[in-house]
This record gives sequence, C-alpha cells and structure tokens, in this order.
Amino acid sequence: MNRRDFLKYSSLIPLASVVPSAFAGTQKGQRPDQIVVMVELKGGNDGLNTLVPFRDQDYFSARPSIAVRNAIPLKDNMGMNPYLKQLLPLWQQGQMAWIQGVGYSNPSRSHFHSIDIWETASTRHDEERGWLSRVLPPRPTSVNGIVLGDNNLGPMAGANNSAVAMEDPTTFLRQTKYLNKKNFKPANASLAHMLNVQNQINMAANELSRIHKGRRSPVKFPTSRIGRKLALVSQMIINGMDTPVYKVSLEGFDTHASQTDQHNNLMNHLGGGLKAFSDAMKKAGLWNNVMVVTYSEFGRRVAENNSGGTDHGSASAHFAIGGRVRGGMYGKQPSLTPQHLKDGDMIHTVDFREVYATMAQRWWRRPNPWEKQFKPIPFV
Amino acid sequence: MGRLSFSDTRHLVSRTALGQQWGGVKALEGKTRAEAINILLTSAAPKTPPGPRLTPYANIKRMSMQNGAGKKRARKMMMQEGTRLKRWWMLHLLQNDTPVNEHLTLFWHNHFTSSLEKVEQPNLMYTQNKLLRDNALGNYRTLLHKVARDPAMLIYLDGSKNVKGSPNENFARELLELFTLGRGHYNENDVKAAAVAFTGWGVDRNRGIYRYDAKHHDTTPVTFMGQTGSFSGDQIIDIILQKPRAAEHIAEKFWKEFISNSHPEPRYIKQWGAVFRQSNYNIKALYSTVLNSEAFWSPKYKGTLIKSPIDLVVGTLRALPFPKLPDSELVHISQLLGQDLFDPPTVKGWSGGNAWIDTQTLLVRTSLLNKLTRHSQASAKMESYLPETTGEEVVKWLLPLDPALPLPVTPGKRRMVRALMLDPVFQLK
Repeated sequence: MNRRDFLKYSSLIPLASVVPSAFAGTQKGQRPDQIVVMVELKGGNDGLNTLVPFRDQDYFSARPSIAVRNAIPLKDNMGMNPYLKQLLPLWQQGQMAWIQGVGYSNPSRSHFHSIDIWETASTRHDEERGWLSRVLPPRPTSVNGIVLGDNNLGPMAGANNSAVAMEDPTTFLRQTKYLNKKNFKPANASLAHMLNVQNQINMAANELSRIHKGRRSPVKFPTSRIGRKLALVSQMIINGMDTPVYKVSLEGFDTHASQTDQHNNLMNHLGGGLKAFSDAMKKAGLWNNVMVVTYSEFGRRVAENNSGGTDHGSASAHFAIGGRVRGGMYGKQPSLTPQHLKDGDMIHTVDFREVYATMAQRWWRRPNPWEKQFKPIPFV
Repeated sequence: MGRLSFSDTRHLVSRTALGQQWGGVKALEGKTRAEAINILLTSAAPKTPPGPRLTPYANIKRMSMQNGAGKKRARKMMMQEGTRLKRWWMLHLLQNDTPVNEHLTLFWHNHFTSSLEKVEQPNLMYTQNKLLRDNALGNYRTLLHKVARDPAMLIYLDGSKNVKGSPNENFARELLELFTLGRGHYNENDVKAAAVAFTGWGVDRNRGIYRYDAKHHDTTPVTFMGQTGSFSGDQIIDIILQKPRAAEHIAEKFWKEFISNSHPEPRYIKQWGAVFRQSNYNIKALYSTVLNSEAFWSPKYKGTLIKSPIDLVVGTLRALPFPKLPDSELVHISQLLGQDLFDPPTVKGWSGGNAWIDTQTLLVRTSLLNKLTRHSQASAKMESYLPETTGEEVVKWLLPLDPALPLPVTPGKRRMVRALMLDPVFQLK
C-alpha cells in the first residue's frame, strides 16, 4: 500500500481529526525535530548507588557492605557510580541533567502496580492509556512510538494506537507478513478501527523495511543487549524514521541479593550503550534533536538487607542527556536520616509527572496534561 | 412473531454463549425469539470443577516469614499456583456445558474485579470465581451482598484495612462508582459514610473466610444518601439498591456487553432498569428483556462488537474442530491478547471495545488464526468434522456481516474456513 492510498482511506477514520501543532512541519513523514528515547530500568533501579550521596554518613551506615565508595564527584555531595564513567564527558559538557528524589505519594512496592503508575501517570489504578498518548496527537503518516525489546506498549499504550512494540525490526517484519495488506471498505466503526490499526502496523513495517536496509552509524556500539537496541534506534533516527518516541529497556535491576557486581555491570552496560548512542547522534548532527530519559518503577530501600542486596523502595534519581539538555542537578536529594524515612524509604521530593510535564511543555511544546498539579522542571 | 433464521440464531448464540457451535445454532433455527431465548437461559445449573491443588496459605506465610530466600520462594510458588488457576479456568471455559452461564461469569469477573496480583492467594480467587458462577444468572442483590463479604474482594479493595478510626474508602468508593451507581450519582460524603458502615469487615486469610470484628466497627451515626443512622454495610447496599440508577447502571453494562460499544439508547436503559428493579434485581429477568429487545436484533448493531480475546480463543476452539492447543499456551495467548484471566488490568476491568485491538494485539490475533488454519497433517483431519452445507451458509455461520475481503475462488472447505477466519469481519460478533 502506498502512502497516498492510506491517506485516501484515512478520511474514513477518526484520525482525520488530528490537530497538529509542534508537528505541523513534519506532516509529510519526516524525522521529527524533537525525539525522545525512554530507557526503562526494569526491576527498580537502586538510585542511591547510581547517583551517590558520597558524603552522607547516613548513606554509609545504612549500607555497610554495598555502599559505593569510589563515586565520581559531580556536584556538592553527589557523585556518580564509577561504572557510568563513560557518561562523564556529557556531564562535563553540561549535557546531562540529574533529577533527584523522583517518586510519588503513597508509593506502591509492587513491580506491576508501580510501573503501571509510571506508565499511565495515574496513581488511582483507573487508567489504561499510557501517558504519552495524552501528550502526543496521533500522526497521520506514521506511528508516534516504537518500543524495542518488549511486548508492552507501556507509556504509549492507548486508544489511538499510534505505537508499535517489537522484539526487533526483523521479528516485527516477520510477524507482519501475515497481516492483511489489502484495503477494505469498513462497514462499521469497529471495522474502521481495525483498518486504522492495520494501516498503522503496515506503515511502520514499510518504514522499517526501508530503514532496515538503510545506513548504519559508523560508531561501534557495545554488544550488550541494550547496546544492540540503541544501535537499532540510532539507525532508525539516522535514516529519518518519522517517529518521535523510542523506548528501550534494560532488565535486571531487581537486586534483592548480592547486588554490587550485578548493579555495577548494569551501570556499565547502560553507560556504554548511551555513550555510543550519543556519539552516533553527534556524528549524524542530530544530538540537538534527541533527548534520552530514564525511568524505573521505584528506587530501593535505603538500608541494605541481609543478603547484600536491597528491597523495593520508593524515590530514586533519574537522568536526561541530550544536546539541548541543560546539565546540572535538579530537585532535592531526600534526607537519609532514619527519622526522616517512611518505613525505611526516602520521601520523594519531585513527582515523576513533573518530569513528564517538562517533556510535554519544554521539549515538545505541547500542553501539560497535569498543569494544575505538576509544573515542568527547567532541565531542558 | 416470525421464526428465527440461521443467521438470527447465529447472532443470538455468538453473543450469549462462547462461540457459535454448529449444533447449537442449528437447534434454535425456526424457533421464535422468545422460545430460543428461553431455551438459552434455562440451562442446567452450572458446575464449578474442583480447582487445582493449592498450598494452604498458612504454609506459604510460614515460608515467607523465614528469610529473604523463603520470601522469594513463597512469591514464586504463589505465582506458579496462580498460573495453574488460570489454566484451570481456561480449560473450564473450553469444556463447560453451560456456556451462557460461563459467559456471564466472565462478565461479572469484569464487573466485580479482583486480581491475583493484589490478592496473591489463588484459593481466594477460586472461591470468588465460584461465587460469580453460582450467582451469574441469579439475583443481583444477593450477589452484591455476597461480594461485599468475599475475601478476595475485601483484600483487593482494601476492605480488610478499613477499621474504626482509620477508614479506608477504597471499597466504599468502588461500590458506588463501579458496582452500583456510577460517577455523578453520589458525593464524597456518601463515600465516607459508606466506608464507616463497612468498618470491621475483614478476612481470615488462613481459613480463607470472611471475618467480622465488632471492635473495629465504627457505630458513629452517619448520613448516607440523605438517611442518617448507624448503618451496617448490608444496610448501605440496600439503600443504594433503592435508587433506580443502580439498576440502570447494570442495564448500561448489559448494553455494552450484548448490544453495542456505542452510547446506550436512553429509552432502553430506562425500561431495562425498571424491569430489573421490579423483579428485585433478578438477573435472568434483565437478561431476557435485553435479548428480547428490538435493540438486540437491530441490523444497526449486528456485527459491531469486537470479540474479546476469550471470545476469539475459546469461541473459535469451541466452534471449530481444530486440534487442541495446550491450556498453558492458551493462557499465554490470552495474556498477549490483553485478557489475562484473574488479572484484569485495572479496578474498572478490561475496557473492551476498540481497546481490544491495538497494534500489538492485532498481530497476535492474526498469527493465532493463521497458525490454527495453516495446512498441516493435524489440520487435514478437521475436514471431516466440518458441517456438510453450502458455502453461503458457512459464511453466515462464521461471520456476522458480509466478508470485507474477497473469498477464494478455488473450492475447498478448509480453504474457505481459513479465508473467513482471516477476514477482518471474523473479529466481530
């Protein structure tokens, strides 16, 4: 199906009512100017061993065996896990922002429930749509988002179906082989919806099969899973995929036991993958058009447990990198003094929706859906 | 009244049972609407087969109290047993002899949601499942009173944390918002008052039963929906059920399940609500009225409902003689399709309608149907089990509307069935 056919048929479907704004210039299927790569740290990343309060005595007392003792000092009392050292140049160039104490009230310690809260931006367990589908309007010429390495649309789930999830493009192209490619005349609204979804998938498949053979970045990516996924993302961006959001994930952060090696290893994969990604974007002259943001269902308990690990906690630090990111420390590191903790967990100082509001308003220039409660943070 | 044609009875069966079995559809052909509906709604009493073997909660609790490793083991064990329970229901969905009742059991599971994820104890979810099945076509008032005491529900909506001096409003709010009246028909003070009335209702997790604790019950008089008193939870339920809106809310859910995903026509809701209330909340009376209504038979709504994953998976396998797939695979497929039995995504249940089909699930639906109908030695055997009839009748049997795509020109029963199953219209009922 060519694009003109799709547009002809799309007049039958609700997509026609799209209101473009920031995307007005990209309606013809070009690479958007503001791309976000979301990196999900699955399992609950230990924020305290990622961005380390390396001068805080309470930190070392709570974690006698797993405290990070050789953090790279960044600013004041805060330092970075040494296995993230590949990201240090970005920090020095002012292209890395840390947001401290990110969480929400009455935190859930359930993986499923809490990631659901992060992805839907609702703490009431009454929303199925991902938060991005409330920020970005549907795109008539392509999909809003691509999720790599996961079956779950997560933050991009939603009734407008403007995202596709896949293990990788090769698998996706194989799966879509069986999907109907023919157009049909929808006899009712349900069939029109199915035609719309079918066209979204076929459109993504067309784009991907083009990019699949497209150019690759000369930058060498690490062979870790996240490295390979980020290489695919960079290839899609470089070849001009008409998609503003990508999501990749890194698994293994549920570090209940013997966490040090495990966590350092993950930090190393994360740092190495993102370093290569930023290099690839810089080489392609696209680093100003991209922002990478991390998220995770929760941080971990302040005190280590008896197995040299940490249990599910609440608030955590997250970071954003990109050519237009305003580097620095944002938010406030929650106190680790035992009497300031709630059930052994930090009390959040930044609501995660403030991060989303920032992306909506300051990056995409879209309305902030949480305007009444949550204001953006000037990290971009 | 006229006699039902084959496509009429197919419409009736595919929307009320689980899949349109050839024999079931044929058996009702030529009856009047009222006769056919009466036959469907007077099936045998539903049976709940014994559940899978589950470890007593006390043992799991003991294990998880030991140490970190024990906790992990306990969690893993409950996960595995939860999956066993999902397989158990999947198998029952495929094999039961009372599909109309079973369809409604799933409907009530989506109305009175609880999830394994929160409840954690599979045996309590089993108990709740049996409660819903036993009362699926019974009395809504009775069912609601029982659900309010159901251990899984008391855990799922934090009822067991709702105690004098420290009220938890979760159950009270959902009782009003989701189970009976709907948003806009109560206020925040009603929620607070109802929460007070339900204080002291809790669960004995070890024995898996409801437990009332008088010392946690708050007897302070409250004002609920204009009435003041020191109420029990049961009185709160009865006050709510006096409101015509409570019956209309259920009527609206029946509209969505059995007629259309579009906005309900108010005249039907008013009428169905009145019938429901006058029958003292007899579910069969409501259901029969819905099925006998002009709306149910209107061409406007025919073929507009998107099949749920269970409709698609279970309905297809019950209606057509494909080789059986392992129940564990079917559970996995229904999860991928967005309907994880015993684990609805939110307190509102599965939103259904268009939400069933997104970029992810359409691919899974397609590859499942493709896999089932692909030529293989096993699938060659099904040829002899397919009904001897005309191609035209096969189309009417499998699709609610004309196919959207051209049909194959080469003859062949299996080729025809495959083409019809891969047609977008097959996703509808």
